[in-house]
Amino acid sequence: MEDDVNRALLEAEPELSAPGPGAGAGPEAEAEAGARVVPQLAICDPAHLAHRLLALVFMCFLGFGSYFCYDNPAALQIQIQNDMHLSTAQFMLLYSWYSWPNVILCFFGGFLIDRVFGIRWGSIIFSFIICIGQVVFALGAILNAFWLMQLGRFIFGIGGESLAVAQNTYAVSWFKGKELNLVFGLQLSMARIGSTVNLNVMGWLYHRIATLIGSPGHTTLGVTLMIGGVTCVFSLLCGLILAFMDWRAEKILHKEEGKTGEVIKIRDMKDFSLSLWIIFLICVWYYVAIFPFIGLGKLFFIEKYKLSPRTASAINSIVYVISAPMSPAFGFLVDKTGRNILWVLFAVVATLASHAMLAFTFWNPWIAMCLLGVSYSLLACALWPMVAFIIPEHQLGTAYGFMQSIQNLGLAIMAIVAGEILDHWGYLYLEIFFIACVSVSLLSVVLLYLVDCSRGGTLNCSVKQRADLSKSTHAE
Amino acid sequence: MGASPSTPSFPFPLREARDQEKASGPFKRQPALPPFKGLGGSRRQSHDWRSGLLSGCGSNGGMHWELPRALRVSALCSPLLLFQCLLLLRAPASLLGDQTRRVFLEVWEGPTDPSKSLLHIRAVGANSTIHYIWSNLGPPAVLFVATNTSNSGLNVNWTGLLSSEPEGSLVVHPTDSVQFSSALIFSKLFEFDSTNSSEVKEGSPGKPYPPYLLADFSWGDVTLDLSTLSATFQGHPSKDPLGTFTNGSLAFKVSAFNESGRPAHLPRLQHTADTTHLELVLAGAAPRGNHSLFGLEVATPVLDSECPQLKEQESIDDEYCPSVFQLEQLLWHSPLGGFLQWRPIAFSQKQLNWKTALSCSVSTPGPTLTTLLPQSPIVRAFFGPSVNFCTFNLTFGNSSNFAYEDHRYLSWSALLGIGIPPVDSFSPMILGIMVVVLGAPGLLLAGGGLSLLLYRHRRYSEYEPIN
Repeated sequence: MEDDVNRALLEAEPELSAPGPGAGAGPEAEAEAGARVVPQLAICDPAHLAHRLLALVFMCFLGFGSYFCYDNPAALQIQIQNDMHLSTAQFMLLYSWYSWPNVILCFFGGFLIDRVFGIRWGSIIFSFIICIGQVVFALGAILNAFWLMQLGRFIFGIGGESLAVAQNTYAVSWFKGKELNLVFGLQLSMARIGSTVNLNVMGWLYHRIATLIGSPGHTTLGVTLMIGGVTCVFSLLCGLILAFMDWRAEKILHKEEGKTGEVIKIRDMKDFSLSLWIIFLICVWYYVAIFPFIGLGKLFFIEKYKLSPRTASAINSIVYVISAPMSPAFGFLVDKTGRNILWVLFAVVATLASHAMLAFTFWNPWIAMCLLGVSYSLLACALWPMVAFIIPEHQLGTAYGFMQSIQNLGLAIMAIVAGEILDHWGYLYLEIFFIACVSVSLLSVVLLYLVDCSRGGTLNCSVKQRADLSKSTHAE
Repeated sequence: MGASPSTPSFPFPLREARDQEKASGPFKRQPALPPFKGLGGSRRQSHDWRSGLLSGCGSNGGMHWELPRALRVSALCSPLLLFQCLLLLRAPASLLGDQTRRVFLEVWEGPTDPSKSLLHIRAVGANSTIHYIWSNLGPPAVLFVATNTSNSGLNVNWTGLLSSEPEGSLVVHPTDSVQFSSALIFSKLFEFDSTNSSEVKEGSPGKPYPPYLLADFSWGDVTLDLSTLSATFQGHPSKDPLGTFTNGSLAFKVSAFNESGRPAHLPRLQHTADTTHLELVLAGAAPRGNHSLFGLEVATPVLDSECPQLKEQESIDDEYCPSVFQLEQLLWHSPLGGFLQWRPIAFSQKQLNWKTALSCSVSTPGPTLTTLLPQSPIVRAFFGPSVNFCTFNLTFGNSSNFAYEDHRYLSWSALLGIGIPPVDSFSPMILGIMVVVLGAPGLLLAGGGLSLLLYRHRRYSEYEPIN
């Protein structure tokens, strides 16, 4: 999913993307309020760490359902294609439809939360939307109507990305100035766990239900997806509880409701520098070689390497498994060393190598996929913070919104393209297509380096150089 | 039945058909076959460039003729030049040395019952002939024989062949020219109930129904299509108490080729002039259960006291048959060798595409008791009564994909040939794309790194005079 990169950024550079003026009331107000209330159990006391940790548990599970269900198609690719009689291109429409609403919604998620719904209603509404989406998706399978499944994924897409924004806003509202880094790290890990559990469990679940019902088929598929949808209901419950806790904390601590503070001005686009546009290019060409690949990965490992479905699922999910612990680690590394372009270059080259291994060798796919997992985590930590170096803070929201929007547009289109390529020309062409995408991304990285160098930019400076530069600018 | 030469200028072969009515059928000019990748387009049929020698040096003869044309083609797209040349080197020259053959298809009908017939495919090269003799006497069977002369022929004594002791009644002459011979007998059509296949013993496709014995099928006339050099015969059980084959049939479609190429439809096995293509189609037969899987038992005579070896070849290249990376091969060991080659894939609809694909698994060939097998008169006539047999089973689909019942259709293709099996190689298009896609970033990284080093070196050296 796309927003993990946003989180990776927040992880790496919390001060840059922390919400603006409306986010939380600050520690002093809280302490003051805490002193006034009647002493109560730590776990019930909003001013207490134990209470915040309880909230954190719900925050983490708020996004669990969305991450779990996002990759349902990948986990059940064979079953979906067999039961619904779909070509790969049609199958990939399920991913494409998820991305389409987010081409627009990336700009408005923050706006909806701040101005229209508020964080509490926002998160409840978005959780409700993903529930509806998943139910429609499952109903489509039960009724053997593929158009309904596509509609379900479209609705799911409307809720999915915006819910991630809400989740981040809650985190900032409750933990700003305290354990925010840790919280983002945990939320990211939870998202990864959701994806991993899905990839490894859904196939097994389908098999069990097929045994119960008597035979596989679209009904089995629908029931499996419906049970998968329980995670979305669970997320909705977390949203409700969290809304209550937030409301209670507001009463007791007299703090403001959390805001994303995002201000999106499409007109800011004209101020975007060449470097920023190149970063967008890197981003879109890189991610189209990752997410559609994971969507199609399970069957690839089964067909090419003759692995069992269970092993294939495990390999396919390794990218997420690695990214859970590595993202914070790489965030720290990039923070301490700087030189972002170099790190991005490393990540892109490693991804290229990984895809080349999958395309041209029969080497154990664990090697390539672990490399892909590492490089994917590294890229997220090095690429997204770069935007913050070249854009004034008040335009950050617009820049990130734009970046995600382009990324979703790329994913929406390329998912279908990837499916068509696979249908007509096979996996070798598909892998070469992904390599081509990463190659374009690599060319863009080199271009970014040249542009940045020629304009005296700081993207590839070490941390010390950046500090020196900023000192000298301040001195002037 | 006559034959179909690729150009009308070539002298028509003698018609050896007994059925003059059929011989007067369409005698079309051979449509241009798709150009064989890397070797250019159609070729002339003349004797001067062909040097068909059994030693295999004929491939050089072919190469001399081909190279200038390949260069001419690639001059139009010069970046691909290198790869075209590379492909030429890897191009599958047929082992018998003949890149093209004159192919003759004839139907030999039995004197008493015209439906009991032989299909004789004779592929004549400069110094070699390959005979494929299909028969529907007893179970469907094919005998394939390679000889080292262009003048070898087939002698059939029908009275002997239809008797209970057919030994010696089918001879390829001159007998001392025979370099390789083997046969395949398609003995049984299996049907399995794949429901709860986990409860059946591990590895089995399901609970078996009584198999259909193909020897008990009644087979229709062999129909020839000379424009595509192919022949079809189909049959159904002569006794069908359950009525499962009321609207159904099992068909064998055999195609021969007079040059190398690759068909446009899946599974796109590459053929040479030394091979024939077999497509087996089960259509319309009612399954006996809800989750029926079908299978086939194939027998082959034991040569040199060994069963043919089953070998799975893996390739990273699935461009010809998307998502299939394996090629199954059954190899007969002998100096010349024969092979049956197929992709582990079958199809459940007439539209052959990825959506309709089924898996196809094969068991390792193992020796079997001759008494368990139905007698094939042509095999016995050629090899004698004392030959032993090996059998192997093919299974189409698996317990999670038993799509037969949806469309009541199953098709499976294989390539039967003499010599070394053709090997797939990258198409020029994919090689070109690979070079661009991998070469561009490679060059950029190397060039960029180098110029960065030089730039730094120069910058530092420019500072030196100031000091």
